[in-house]
Amino acid sequence: MASEPLPSLLRTTIRRSFIVGRVNLVVATGASLVWGTLLSLTSGGAFASLFPLLLPVLGTIGTAGPMLVFTNDRTKGVFEYLIAYGVPTHRIFVNVLAAALTMVGVVDGLTLAVALSLRAALGLAVPLAFTEALLGYSLPMSFGATALTTAAGMYWTSLSSPRTGMNSPLGLLPMLGIAPGGLALVAAEGAGPGVRIYVLIGAVAVVVVLATVLLLLESRLMPRERLLSPA
Amino acid sequence: MSSDPLLSRPSSVRSATRAGISCRGVSAGYLGSRVLEDISFDIDEPAVYVVLGPNGAGKTTLFRTLAGILRPYEGEVLVGGERIDVQASRDHLHYLSHMDGIPDGLTVREALRFYARVERAELDDVDRVLRLLDIEPMAGRYLAQLSAGQRKRVSIARVFLHEREIYLLDEPTANLDPKLSREIRELILSLSHEKIVLYSSHNLFEAREIGRYVIAIKGGRLALFDRIENLRGEHYVIGIRVLDPGTPAALSDFTRQGDYYLRELPGPESVPGLLRELDAQGVRVREAREMSNPLEDLFA
Repeated sequence: MASEPLPSLLRTTIRRSFIVGRVNLVVATGASLVWGTLLSLTSGGAFASLFPLLLPVLGTIGTAGPMLVFTNDRTKGVFEYLIAYGVPTHRIFVNVLAAALTMVGVVDGLTLAVALSLRAALGLAVPLAFTEALLGYSLPMSFGATALTTAAGMYWTSLSSPRTGMNSPLGLLPMLGIAPGGLALVAAEGAGPGVRIYVLIGAVAVVVVLATVLLLLESRLMPRERLLSPA
Repeated sequence: MSSDPLLSRPSSVRSATRAGISCRGVSAGYLGSRVLEDISFDIDEPAVYVVLGPNGAGKTTLFRTLAGILRPYEGEVLVGGERIDVQASRDHLHYLSHMDGIPDGLTVREALRFYARVERAELDDVDRVLRLLDIEPMAGRYLAQLSAGQRKRVSIARVFLHEREIYLLDEPTANLDPKLSREIRELILSLSHEKIVLYSSHNLFEAREIGRYVIAIKGGRLALFDRIENLRGEHYVIGIRVLDPGTPAALSDFTRQGDYYLRELPGPESVPGLLRELDAQGVRVREAREMSNPLEDLFA
């Protein structure tokens, strides 16, 4: 008997992530919009130097929803149900990751749209340094740090008894998420103006490499048994 | 729960062929730690097969292995003659975990639509099972707002979205009130006329009521696979409720438990003789029932 193809559950995962993680999303988007608005009203120098550094930090705070979905689904037996009906663990992993990247895209996208529209409305130019920092650092760091922390959070959850306290990924994820961006911010401020961009690009490279390594190890680090609720 | 027979069948049937399920020398467990050892059986007769065993015996692990969630370390699980890791084999099965398997962030109707998509059922069947399980009034509520029993009801609803040949139901009536438990048992019993139902429960009354076969797991091994009617307990106890206790000596060999007078007999074949003896001594019997359950001995 020929089997019908497995349906994609990506849209449902993204939608559930938005619903379950709405508080984090609203806080992150709100903070990001406030900072974006305030910095848009400043001179070109402050806008170009500080705004790209803050964007990844605030963006990743808003991505706790997919991890909440992942942890709940594991605890409540949704994963074993999905596996029984033929959904591969790889697809579960990728869906959660894609949901997290979508959410950070929403926070960053909204913030950028508001900040750039405001500057345009006020007749303020967008400095070239801002565009370079945005493309070279902010966006890759946002998506890289989100991928890194979501992958690490999924491995961590699958190794532990899920709880929602500070000793679980759900409690620590926001801190894990802002760590790469925060450390890069401190390092960049400490570096001289000439080497600042290299420090930032180096930080992005480290995060992207680490995230890629974690993603490639998915089949080794996350066997099916790790996704099952307690027997 | 609706009793409308038109509501009880899904709009599509997965398979027209009857698939059996076989376990061939299966050892399985978690991350290298073995829970099941050398389990073998073949099932192809439609019936309810009650899986029993003490806590930690390996019942849930057996269900997960049969459902293809856990890969056996040794041996194989075959469904319809094919290994369970083939998608076509999975398509013969419905699996209901002892956990709800309820996805947060969705309403009841959305969750059933989610299940329907995963199981490749028709979306039209969502409305049918909403009525079948009497969950239509809560269709728009978020699952997080439901009680444990209501969530279990939603969880059970999904196995009626789509007909399959084999139903693996791990404690389907846990957390349900007695009325709904009875209704679910009746649904399962009606299913078992055409389908193979493996069913685990800690409720021995329930197991005896609907099971035709028993699969007993002890210490991860298959301890028994037989028809329940063939089981003979170590002790056979009959309970008598009387309208008139007759002569003072008539019930002197019995012990009292509530309204019942209890007596151990060699087996059910001794019951007619006992009743004749009591009648001769003027005892008017209102009810006689078996008080011991041979399934209890499987937990010893």
